[in-house]
Amino acid sequence: MTAGHRRILVVEDDPETAGQLAEQLTSSGYEVDLAASGNEALRRGASCDHAVITIDRMLPDIDGITVMRQLRDGGVAAPFLIISALGEVDDRVRGLRAGGDDYLVKPFSFVELLARLEALGRRSETIAKDTILRVGDLAIDLIARTANRRGKDIPLLPREFQLLEYLVRNEGRVVSRAMLLQHVWDLHFDPSTNIIDVYVGRVRRKVDDQQAYPLIHTVRGMGYCLRAPR
Amino acid sequence: MLLASTLRSTTFKLALAAIVTFGVIASAIFAYVYLFTASFVRSRSDQAIMAEYSGLLGAYERSGRRELIELIRNRLAGGSPAEHVYLLVDHASDVLAGNLDKWPSAATAAQGWTEFRAPGAPDAASQPRFRAMSATLPGGDRLLVGTDISDLDSFAAKIKAAVIAIIFLMFVVAVVASILVTQRTVGRIEEINATSRAIMQSGLDKRIPLRGSHDEWDRVAENLNLMLDRIETLMGDVKQVSDNVAHDLRTPLTRMRGRLEKAYHGGRIGENDQALIGDTIADLDAVLGMFSSITRIAHIETQVRKGAFRTVNLVEIASEVVELYDAAAERDGTDLSITGDHEVRVTGDRDLLFDAIANLVDNAIKHGRAGGKIVVACENVDGGAVIAVTDDGPGIPTCERDHVFKRFYRLEQSRYTPGNGLGLSLVAAVAHLHGARIELLDHSPGLQFKLWFSTPAS
Repeated sequence: MTAGHRRILVVEDDPETAGQLAEQLTSSGYEVDLAASGNEALRRGASCDHAVITIDRMLPDIDGITVMRQLRDGGVAAPFLIISALGEVDDRVRGLRAGGDDYLVKPFSFVELLARLEALGRRSETIAKDTILRVGDLAIDLIARTANRRGKDIPLLPREFQLLEYLVRNEGRVVSRAMLLQHVWDLHFDPSTNIIDVYVGRVRRKVDDQQAYPLIHTVRGMGYCLRAPR
Repeated sequence: MLLASTLRSTTFKLALAAIVTFGVIASAIFAYVYLFTASFVRSRSDQAIMAEYSGLLGAYERSGRRELIELIRNRLAGGSPAEHVYLLVDHASDVLAGNLDKWPSAATAAQGWTEFRAPGAPDAASQPRFRAMSATLPGGDRLLVGTDISDLDSFAAKIKAAVIAIIFLMFVVAVVASILVTQRTVGRIEEINATSRAIMQSGLDKRIPLRGSHDEWDRVAENLNLMLDRIETLMGDVKQVSDNVAHDLRTPLTRMRGRLEKAYHGGRIGENDQALIGDTIADLDAVLGMFSSITRIAHIETQVRKGAFRTVNLVEIASEVVELYDAAAERDGTDLSITGDHEVRVTGDRDLLFDAIANLVDNAIKHGRAGGKIVVACENVDGGAVIAVTDDGPGIPTCERDHVFKRFYRLEQSRYTPGNGLGLSLVAAVAHLHGARIELLDHSPGLQFKLWFSTPAS
């Protein structure tokens, strides 16, 4: 996300939640516009170019999905993050089908929101055309589906490669377990166990064992982050 | 009481309506039969009289009065049936021949039919009745030929009496029968009502008595009783769940409260505070996770998701699960593998099936033997499909098997392993949604979960 384009529209009808979001997003370096109703969201969304629009599904006047459609029809290109208290999968998927770019279920941690906003904001930038991505001494070949560190191949299963690719594409950003599950496994629910941790643990052993420095970092209570030492 | 409610009941009113309708139709049929029979008998007798009359008239026209008198006398002497009457009088009404004393006063027309009682008798009503053809002959004489119709009248009267008796009897029998039938119906309904009232007043333990007749009422009672069983079970489950929710929520909430209280009274130390807040968030997440699991199961149980069912390959889903849990199995040194057919199609929801299979595999890894062996097998069977998850761990005691699918139920031996006791409830809910049957089998040593899908994808 470019420095000049960190303006976010938050559509949220609960004043306390909206206040918390505005405060935390501002302290994370975003400019925040707030809208407390569907009509206000339509007005603000159309009047200004936002990097991301977060929208609550349940609004007092117009349904969030309808607001999103109308903004899209009006030519708003910003990605939408649907925030829903309707936790069930079909509701979420319905949100995505209706033109949302990602969803989050209430209650959520702010870190999770931030991670998803970052990922969405990045997606709206130009997508790199490189077929080989590099982070530190790690290189992954998107065509051959192979990875190596300092020229030494890392044997990865297809799903492990997908996971590593997702981490690499989000280099330097925190990726939550739910995001991994959603983007790597295409699963729209949260398994109650620590299965993702175990899976990432195995990928980490393959990628980081006996290397000069670790790349995959656990961010406590949040998820994972792939980054090279500065 | 019973009679009053019988007479009020809809069944009885319907029966009455049917009786009235049927009665009207039956009466019409009987009336038709009666009228037809009576007129048929009369027309036969009229034909006979007419034939006789024509014969006599022909003789008169051919040969004159004397011949006719001769003929009538012959007839009366033995040539005709006893019930026939003949009379020939001259213009002064003096009898010339015949077996009647005088010309009946009713027969006045020049020619035509007439009915009369035997003239001159004192008690007219008991006298025989006659029906006769009479006419004035060209010479001024008058001729009458008739027959005694008393028998015909009594025949018709008997038919009429029989018809009325039958209609009356039918009506009485029908009314009595419908009262009895209605009483029986009302009685059974009263039993059901009484049980319903008892249930509303005292509790769900009452059941509608069966009569053992295996009739439709017994079936209704059986089904209502089954429904009551189900409601009782559900009520029990709800109570069990709320008890367990209270227990399982109280634990992390108490921990959080204690932690916060300690921090509130203690000094502010950045590092401690951070650890404390981190732990509290983790506990809160566990509580929220429990809530979303409960609402998820509840949502699955509403069957709403059946609308999104598609044909899916069970093997593909199971392979993805095995792949996801491969790392966890590897960590425990457990051998996790998949066998069976290459393609097993069922109609269902991919995400939910994934979730259910994942829970079974997760359980097998958690509660199975470290370094053991877990096999996921998908197979097409006759008229359906089956997926089996088998481990070689300690298994579940037989007496506990019915309980493991209950929400929050946890075996004593696994009370301290991670998990919230909702996994198998979710499996059960998903299985139920898919019309699949769950089977828990001994695999000595170990345990085998089987999901039988009875509806193969077409």
